[in-house]
Amino acid sequence: MFKPLDPLLHAELRLAVMSLLVSTEEAEFPYIKEQTGATAGNLSVQIDKLSAAGYIEVEKTFKGKKPCTLCRITPTGLKAFQEYIEALKSYLDVSSK
Amino acid sequence: MEENNNMTAERSLEIIMQQIESSRRTISANLAPSLISWGTLVFVFALLISYLWNHHGGSVWNVLWAVMWGCGYLVEWLINKRRPSVPNSIISKTIGQVWSTFGLFIGAMGILFGLALGGVLPSLLTVPDADVMGTLYINLTSIISLCFGIASTITGSILKNRIIQTCGFIAGQGGFFGAIQFPGAEQLYVMAAVALIGLIVPGLIIYSTNKR
Repeated sequence: MFKPLDPLLHAELRLAVMSLLVSTEEAEFPYIKEQTGATAGNLSVQIDKLSAAGYIEVEKTFKGKKPCTLCRITPTGLKAFQEYIEALKSYLDVSSK
Repeated sequence: MEENNNMTAERSLEIIMQQIESSRRTISANLAPSLISWGTLVFVFALLISYLWNHHGGSVWNVLWAVMWGCGYLVEWLINKRRPSVPNSIISKTIGQVWSTFGLFIGAMGILFGLALGGVLPSLLTVPDADVMGTLYINLTSIISLCFGIASTITGSILKNRIIQTCGFIAGQGGFFGAIQFPGAEQLYVMAAVALIGLIVPGLIIYSTNKR
């Protein structure tokens, strides 16, 4: 029986962002952009969606005089990611049989 | 990365793996300047102290290792200022903890031996017989090399980097047995070789690999 996949995480860029944030305490916007290879506009939209769902926290701050956007995963986001991995396993188990 | 909601499970897994691998590669790339700078400092100070020890007043010049630590942290601070910001991850934190533990053990050992040699602590606390100097010079470089080799090999294992693993293993084992063979100031040549093999060579290899 397939478990349902969270539609918010089942999108390439959002999944990449969550995978990146799951192993870090927090990451700056330019770092996420560089690691995912996404455009600033697209990344910004996806980050807003994840933030609206409560999966990540976005903090606008300053680094010296430059503005800096920090993203970090929330406990809700971590739980959702874990559930997504669990659901993914059920699909992979079937395809490997 | 395009917006795609019709991914297969395999593609999802691939994306997750890609991000973990990419994070690992970034940490490896950021490690290279630190490896090269610390390696160069150890190499230069080992040769310098060895020269001064042989020609200008004996083992007292070992106190310069403290100056090397100071220089090392200053260089590290300068590198960090120029380096693009990389977030703390489980991988980088673990590597940091491994090297902090190494630094703590070696630092504590150096301080205890230093206090014993300076007469602040009774020498019997560090070495059970009267031949403190002999025991210190024969064993300290061996132990430092071995600890260094272990820390370096663990770092290589965490980063899944065979170059760091291999160089760390060779430097640790070679340094351990090499230092036993050479008592006195000569063992600092072994220390210089350990720095070359264990820090400078892997640092340069990682640096050139990432430049390509």
